[in-house]
Amino acid sequence: MTGDLVLRIVAKLLMPFMLLFALYVQFHGDYGPGGGFQAGVIAATAIVFYAITFGLAAAQRMVPERLVERLLAVGVLLYAGVGFAGLALGGNYLDYFVLDPDSVHGQHRGIFWVEAGVGITVAAVMLKLFYMFAGRGRDAGDA
Amino acid sequence: MSTVAGHYSYWMTIVLIVAGMYILIARGNLMKKLLGLAVLQSSVYLLYIAPAKLLGGTAPIVAQGYTVYSNPLPHVLILTAIVVGVATLALGLAMVVRIREAYGSIEEDEILARDRADDDRAPDGAR
Repeated sequence: MTGDLVLRIVAKLLMPFMLLFALYVQFHGDYGPGGGFQAGVIAATAIVFYAITFGLAAAQRMVPERLVERLLAVGVLLYAGVGFAGLALGGNYLDYFVLDPDSVHGQHRGIFWVEAGVGITVAAVMLKLFYMFAGRGRDAGDA
Repeated sequence: MSTVAGHYSYWMTIVLIVAGMYILIARGNLMKKLLGLAVLQSSVYLLYIAPAKLLGGTAPIVAQGYTVYSNPLPHVLILTAIVVGVATLALGLAMVVRIREAYGSIEEDEILARDRADDDRAPDGAR
């Protein structure tokens, strides 16, 4: 925990914009540069920034490690679920065109959910890596 | 002259490759070695991405009014390479953390000196 007032105020001001930018990159990925990979990393950066400024314990109170581990699996299941939804609706695995009667809408819907799954998993992996490196040697002591 | 100036992305790639390899070989600090590895990887991304960009080309989504598209294949390949790069960097950092815990140092010469000292001592202790 740092006592630097300027750093703490700026961190609090920047956090919502970093998360908003992550969402923009996530949802703009259909039409421009962006997508789940980039958005996930940007979202994780916001949390890492928070942890660096306010301490690891504060960040883990906001985004608990158990939640991060759940999100890891949720993202992969979401991605796979889109594939099985395509199978259930009579198409191939990850077939976007059958997700909606209008095939263009179906394609958009498929890309949206697949990218959402990618974004959730990438953000969770990045946070898990950070938590593991930052938390090492603190709870168990330097062994 | 135009071939030199026209291929500046390749020259930047070469500079990054050589700089990364130099850091990787010449620095004894394991953290700096990993940073050199990251620079080396970035140069490979640039090597693939730069030729894929067409001047005036758009994102490869079919739309009316556009006939020139950038090649998406190198971007997809490099997306995978970036993910692999992050994974190898995390693995390398984990190894550095373990080495720091075992040796108390991340300087290569100090680690090697401790290994040699252990090798010299070990036969006497074993007998």
